[in-house]
Amino acid sequence: MTFIVRRLLQSLIVIIGVTLITFSALQMSGDPTYLYVSERATAEEIARTRQALGFDRPLHEQYLSFLGNLVQGDFGNSLSYKRPAIEAVMEALPATLELTLFAMILAIVVAIPLGVAAALNRGSPVDGSIMTVAMAGQSIPSFWLGIMMIMFFGLQLRIFPISGHVPFIMPLVQGDFGRAFSQLPQTLYYLIMPGFAVAFYSISRNARLVRSSMLEVLGQDFVRTARAKGISEYAVVVRHALRNAWLPVVTMIGLEFGFLIGGVVVVEMVFSWPGIGRLIFNAINQRDIPVVQAAVVVLALVFISLNLIVDLIYAKIDPRVKL
Amino acid sequence: MFKKLLLSGVALASLSAPVMAAPPENTIVVGLSADASTFDPAQISSRDNANIAKHLFATLFQVTYEGVVQPYLVEDTKVSDDGLTYNFKLKEGLTCHDGEALTAEDVAYSFNRAADPANAFTGNTPGFVYTTLGFDSAVAIDDLNVEINVKSPTTLALGMLAQVYIHCKDSYEGKTAEDAASNPIGSGSYRIARWDRGSEIVLEKVQDPGNFDNIIFRIIPEASTRTAELIAGNVDIITNVSPDQVGAIDASGSSKVRAVSGTRRMQIGFNLGEKVADMPGAKEIQDPKVRFALQYAVDVPGICEQLLGTSCERMTSLVNPPNGNPDLKPIPYDPEMAEKLLDEAGYPRGENGVRFSIRLQGPRGRYLADASVVQAIGQMLTDVGVETEVELLEWASVYSPLLRTKEMGPLFFLGQGGVTWNPLYDMSLFSTPDAATNYQSWTDPRWFADWEIARSAESPEAARPVINRMLKLFYEEGPWLQLYFQPDFYGVSNRINWEPRRDEEIDLFYATLAQS
Repeated sequence: MTFIVRRLLQSLIVIIGVTLITFSALQMSGDPTYLYVSERATAEEIARTRQALGFDRPLHEQYLSFLGNLVQGDFGNSLSYKRPAIEAVMEALPATLELTLFAMILAIVVAIPLGVAAALNRGSPVDGSIMTVAMAGQSIPSFWLGIMMIMFFGLQLRIFPISGHVPFIMPLVQGDFGRAFSQLPQTLYYLIMPGFAVAFYSISRNARLVRSSMLEVLGQDFVRTARAKGISEYAVVVRHALRNAWLPVVTMIGLEFGFLIGGVVVVEMVFSWPGIGRLIFNAINQRDIPVVQAAVVVLALVFISLNLIVDLIYAKIDPRVKL
Repeated sequence: MFKKLLLSGVALASLSAPVMAAPPENTIVVGLSADASTFDPAQISSRDNANIAKHLFATLFQVTYEGVVQPYLVEDTKVSDDGLTYNFKLKEGLTCHDGEALTAEDVAYSFNRAADPANAFTGNTPGFVYTTLGFDSAVAIDDLNVEINVKSPTTLALGMLAQVYIHCKDSYEGKTAEDAASNPIGSGSYRIARWDRGSEIVLEKVQDPGNFDNIIFRIIPEASTRTAELIAGNVDIITNVSPDQVGAIDASGSSKVRAVSGTRRMQIGFNLGEKVADMPGAKEIQDPKVRFALQYAVDVPGICEQLLGTSCERMTSLVNPPNGNPDLKPIPYDPEMAEKLLDEAGYPRGENGVRFSIRLQGPRGRYLADASVVQAIGQMLTDVGVETEVELLEWASVYSPLLRTKEMGPLFFLGQGGVTWNPLYDMSLFSTPDAATNYQSWTDPRWFADWEIARSAESPEAARPVINRMLKLFYEEGPWLQLYFQPDFYGVSNRINWEPRRDEEIDLFYATLAQS
């Protein structure tokens, strides 16, 4: 319990740091007023708009006012959408969570068998093939992979949709369970290509991580002992070796979310995925400061929460870890 | 196990197959690069947003493909002798989408709501249209007659009124700003059936004009994805086709690219203002002979062919065809002539081969192939002895503020939108020496004296001799190194008949199925 309270307090500091950095970076990138007045606006009109948008106030005042409102859950109105910024963010968040979680699942479910297979067949063509693909996965940019997948699977073979999104989490949140589950197959269908484009790097990295971790564990005495006792190879690998090789992977999963969120920005653009990455990209281009700030804070909160959960899981699966 | 997975995949694909089908016959699908941000008629500002809104909201007038301003909601127009009051009689039986009768009071409300400073609207109507129009007030005379008052006479009035969206008073008076942005109640041919933000906007037909029952605007930010969706037959029209994808679309057999010479005027501006007076090259470009000489140094048709993927003719003035001065011929690419004129202007090559140095700034990613065009022009100027330092800047945070404060350049690359319906609109960029759009700080008194004559003429036709004189001055001594009207590329499915407009507007009212 003390650990959780301590982490929550640390999180508060992180959030304040995140808002300060975001605010400073956006302010340094210039006065956004010019994007919200016409080409023919007079100096008076520009000044009036600057005042209406609140950019005429001293920077510290703007920031403190933002923090004050933030405490009350008010991120201000989006400059371009003309509605609460947090609404725009919360509307886009489910799509990003769908994509990121799907990619995380792929990064785990695909990477572990590949890593184990490579470790068990060390030096063989199987190992070589898997590691070659893993090397490629860490070298190919996700946007290029996405475009190539669109060209091949979407346009040539026509087995996957080229772009678009069918929501699952949003109907769930709205309480429309029937709609959410009835369109779940389509949700997954639309997720396959963008999900793989986001996950390919992580699959590759995790596969290499599992392989090296497995190789280390497989050479240890307790594995040899298990084999000497006549336990089946399946049990040796899954119950003994993999369980011990699993810890570095769990650590990586904690960091995975932040990494994947970074990757989804580009992939969301390529696959027309209406998520938070695309929202932030557009908001930065429009200097829509309230939306950028709301999105960054929400993502930071999600990231912090996931890391906390991973730490708790870590303590659960490794008795040596004390919280 | 593998077999099971494969079967599951096939089952999944078959379940989802219908979503990849081509649009039904009563539906037209357009792939746009950006979503609408708001449907509040007084807040709409971007082109993509306006292209959707024009199907939702009717206007008093509309501009045709050919650049003719014609009545839309209006039946009759009377203008007062002093040109300051327009009386419009509305057509009878007009309604808004909620069934409310659309009267003169609603028209007056639509105009005055956008102008009300208490609302602090920042859209195109209050920010651009009213400034250009000199809007003063709108008053309902009776149910069918409304008066629009302007501050000074202008031949631009009807064309500018074609950009003001009309809606009903009762529908909007009780709306919050947020509701007005998200739930429009229009007066045009279509209404919003569904708006999945970031994904698609579905419109359904309410009344004529319009040949399709539904219009779907799909938001597809990435150009190559839009191209793939078009070739696959999932969308009917896409905008902003990248020149490198023209070949793929034309070869697809399912669609083709339509290129139009747009109304956006691409130029290298000569900043003649005080804010860059101390910069290298600023003094030299004050000389009109130098500015004219530099025109010959740039190979505009070559830039279009090599970098924009289409042929083009160099523009002769800031006015869109066919409203320009017909006597002016495009200045050819002739670097030897450029060198000769620079010599004559008193700027011979020095020992190092340089006549003078100058900085050329340009945005990256704002206009078609902008960075490549700017770099090519920089090299062409350097080739005639004007050592040009090219600087590419990010638009929103750096370039735009510098432009607004007139600190660009001394040479800067810019595109400015124009129209086909009135030459004076295009020329109004230089309405006064300190006009916000006079980024070049051009102060030639001959231009501004003539501008007052042209502006106060009864019609553009009446002002034609003065307009031609002004355009000749602009051609010879103007503050632009004249380039081209930006080509716009649209991908169009063979399934439909649709012609793109030159003014970047997407007009789907008269699109039809190819076989019909």
